[in-house]
Amino acid sequence: MSIVDVGQGQEVAGPATPSAPVTAASLRRRTTPWVLLAAGLLFGIGLQPQLYPAQERLVSTVLMFVALATAWNLIGGFAGYASFGQVAFFGLGGYGTALMMVHLNMSFWLAMAASAVVAFLFAALVGAPLLRLKGHYFAIATLGVAEGLREVVTNLPKLTGGGGGITIPTFGPNAPTRWLGNDGFYLLFLFLAVAVVAVAIVVASSRGGYALRAIHQDEDAAAAMGINTTLAKTLAFAGSAALTGAVGSARAFQLQTIYPDRSFDVAITVLMVVMVVLGGSGTVLGPIIGAISVAFASEWLRTNYTDVHIFLLGGMIIVAVVLLPQGFTNYVRDAVRARRFSLLENVRRYRL
Amino acid sequence: MSNRAFAGAAVVALLLVTTACGSKQAPEAGGDSGRLVLGASLSLTGATAKEGILTREGYEVCTKVVNDKGGVAAGGTKYQLEIRFQDDTSKADVSAQLVDQYNDQGVKLILGPYGSGPTDAVAAVVERNGQVMADSAGADNKIFAKGYRRSFAVLSPATSYVASIVQAINDLATPKPKTFAFISADDGFSKTATQGGISKAKELGFEVIAEEYVPNQTTDVSSALTKIKPKNPDVILGSVHLSEGIAIVKQSKELGVRPTGGFGETVAPPIPDFVKTLAGSAEGVLGSTQWTPKTAGSERFFGSATDYAATFKTQFGGRDPVYHNAEATAACLALVLAVEKAGSTDPDKVRDALAALDTPSFFGPIKFTPEGMNVTKQMAVIQIQNGKAVPVWPADSAEAPLKWPATA
Amino acid sequence: MAQFLQATVYGLLQGGLLALIAVGFSLVWGVMNVVNLSHGAFVLAGAYVALQLHDAVGLDPFVSMVPAALLLFGFGYVVQRYLVNLVVNGPIFITLLLTFGLELVLVNLMLYLFTADHQSIPTGYAEGSLVLPGDVRIPYGRLIAALLALALTVALVYVMRRTRTGLSILATGMDRGAARLMGIKARHVYALTFGIAAAMAGAAGAAVGAVSTFSPADAGRFTLFSFVASVLGGLGNMWGALYGGLVLGLVQAWGGQLLPGTLVNAVAFAVLVLVLAFRPQGIAGKPFYASRLEV
Repeated sequence: MSIVDVGQGQEVAGPATPSAPVTAASLRRRTTPWVLLAAGLLFGIGLQPQLYPAQERLVSTVLMFVALATAWNLIGGFAGYASFGQVAFFGLGGYGTALMMVHLNMSFWLAMAASAVVAFLFAALVGAPLLRLKGHYFAIATLGVAEGLREVVTNLPKLTGGGGGITIPTFGPNAPTRWLGNDGFYLLFLFLAVAVVAVAIVVASSRGGYALRAIHQDEDAAAAMGINTTLAKTLAFAGSAALTGAVGSARAFQLQTIYPDRSFDVAITVLMVVMVVLGGSGTVLGPIIGAISVAFASEWLRTNYTDVHIFLLGGMIIVAVVLLPQGFTNYVRDAVRARRFSLLENVRRYRL
Repeated sequence: MSNRAFAGAAVVALLLVTTACGSKQAPEAGGDSGRLVLGASLSLTGATAKEGILTREGYEVCTKVVNDKGGVAAGGTKYQLEIRFQDDTSKADVSAQLVDQYNDQGVKLILGPYGSGPTDAVAAVVERNGQVMADSAGADNKIFAKGYRRSFAVLSPATSYVASIVQAINDLATPKPKTFAFISADDGFSKTATQGGISKAKELGFEVIAEEYVPNQTTDVSSALTKIKPKNPDVILGSVHLSEGIAIVKQSKELGVRPTGGFGETVAPPIPDFVKTLAGSAEGVLGSTQWTPKTAGSERFFGSATDYAATFKTQFGGRDPVYHNAEATAACLALVLAVEKAGSTDPDKVRDALAALDTPSFFGPIKFTPEGMNVTKQMAVIQIQNGKAVPVWPADSAEAPLKWPATA
Repeated sequence: MAQFLQATVYGLLQGGLLALIAVGFSLVWGVMNVVNLSHGAFVLAGAYVALQLHDAVGLDPFVSMVPAALLLFGFGYVVQRYLVNLVVNGPIFITLLLTFGLELVLVNLMLYLFTADHQSIPTGYAEGSLVLPGDVRIPYGRLIAALLALALTVALVYVMRRTRTGLSILATGMDRGAARLMGIKARHVYALTFGIAAAMAGAAGAAVGAVSTFSPADAGRFTLFSFVASVLGGLGNMWGALYGGLVLGLVQAWGGQLLPGTLVNAVAFAVLVLVLAFRPQGIAGKPFYASRLEV
């Protein structure tokens, strides 16, 4: 192990600094993620006509989780602040959009943008006291915020419909925007996922991304090096909130009727975390791989083992977390580099 | 990044793009010859797993009885009834997605999920897809105030759950109580039921002295009871589910809240767990139910309510049916009768036939308002007597007189 | 006035039960920096053990607290020793995810074994109450549960501070490396700690079964209230869970009287977030624990 331990989840793609020559290798390093992203976008578009509506909806949900997991990774993976209340922004985006469309008759696109802004501001506000906490405390505080928000929404029935839910009108004279249809939502989620991954790529290879990683490794040292940790953390938190809010907004429109205990379900946050951790936190590819595999696995289990699928999912999570605690992409990267593929090595590394 | 890795990435990108330009296989075949397929998305796991499973049992009874009697006769063909089940894990949006999936598989006739929340979500999807739903367990009137034309509820709407208990007390209780206190869970269905009960109570000249709300599915209603206690109500009515219902009776005893007229609760008392957990304290509690084995009415598939009870008992190992089973079977029956009446499985024709349906059945009369609710059918009121849920109202299906006052 | 007094009394009793539920959670978190998301499932398991014993041999649930505790101690020990110990060195979300997966497995196992039915363990006396002037009632069942919570907390404090085992647990919690250098077997000590926590959870479950209803759906709620109580009371102090539980019970009871009943949960979360924002170490906790990242 070298002296400079890059910790877990460090992608070594870096910007070319003014003093270093722009080599072909560094150029390749910089453009590869974008090339792959563009390829992914084309693949997604091309795949659409081949899918039956049910599969299309499944892929839309997978894309939604890719976006959510990647957004969570910004604060949880890069900065190391495990937010367990991320669903608060998801629900905030969803309910914000629903309220704007129902009470203010706004068009969906305007409402989505506005919801993202609202989520951004809310996270910045809430982050001020909470980002001072560390570790489990931060996780629980954010969880408290999410649950509290759900209770607030449930207890404002005149505004939000309370426990009975709120319906966005999607046909007839009341509807500000027509329902996008399966195809429309597929494309919406595809573009959202691509946008979020693009943000992640930019963050990963920028100074901001390095700042976040520095905060994760040793916050005091980072501050000593002149990084404005409060600004970096808050921007990461609020940024991931805005992206999550936009996704939540799209989801609410897709579902038409939303309920507080589903829009603010803690299980959504946990799924996000599972996807990022299993895929490899702190990388760009990790959340994508994690989201795709966990979403498909969960769906497959639900269809084929209807009675016991949650039980099996729990078991799978346990096994995966024990064998691959650093996540799949990091494991692959380390294994390829060190030519050591044993999963039990992994276990030995982290156990007591 | 090494040359090799870059080359690898480029190959992957190329592969992705070329795969995307393939062609789609032929779409799934639509109808199955000789089989009438109905789709049901139920809560087989999760918070309402128990009720979801009871609903599934009701649907299964329908399949067996209808197929044993030769199947569904429509347009000159005899169809074997087949119901597909999927688990919505007690989540409304999953229910909606599953119904969408059924639409892709060509399944246009849908049997309702358990609960008003999922039913509401599914109704929106059914409307959009041109499917048809027979609602077995979503009673909230609000579902039917949205202008949906393709969902039909066989069960009595939410407003009658508490109102029927109030009516029963009005008709049968001597001396008549004067004051009511209402405790309600805060989900849409319970709140609608509470409002229905309050208007009925005021209409009949009772005084409503308290209206308290508790969190849905809670096991602690002490704060509501503590607020109600000093007001000394004659009767406490709970528009709640099982866990709150049990808590009301239990904690009333702990806190010394003793309404002279006892308790009335909507959904909880008819469920066997209520008596099992409360033992003696459950005596005298009134409950409302969509169906009892004494409900009047019969038709050719299931006979009368007593016949249905016997059939259920045989199919499920000697266990008596509860109303969740019956309402599920009734919904399936409605769809079957509509298909027969329409003479086809085309969703639009079935929809029209359902809207025009007017038939007695083991579940009571099945007839829908233009919005899709079944207001012709009355709910029954039961009272726990000697550990059993005994129907006491309406008079034509009562098994025993009302014991009043309930708490001696 | 009597109404307010009743609410206060009831809130304190409820708080006592919450404290009993939370004390194991707080112990594990304080010593091992592991947030056990499956804690509620252990409480539930204790309730089911008591239920089975009652159905089989008619054992009173408060007496069943002992076998429930013993059974769950064994189970907890094994889980920690051979499962959670495997990831204790990793970052926090790993342990969170592991315990989350464990919760899914345990709750669904119980759902499968015992169905989703709401259960309760009827006792002849639990619903009767002590009547104070003004018709303020103290239900026997809840009173016994609260007193037992107090007794168990006292016993736990004694064990932790006066016995070698307890001291080795506390030492390992403060500095695992140093403890190992002193010859303490950390694996075993961690497993012991988890076992004790599980035992307390099991006992709490038996008490819950006696005074209220339970079903597999309640596991999440128990865990959530354990969080709030532990944070309120503070880590690093054995009395923390007791203080936190009592305060939480009171806050919920008073909130229930002053506000509409449906806001009770919102109040609990508001309290949680406020405490974390302004005094993360809680009422009686040690600030060291609030800023601890890795053990």
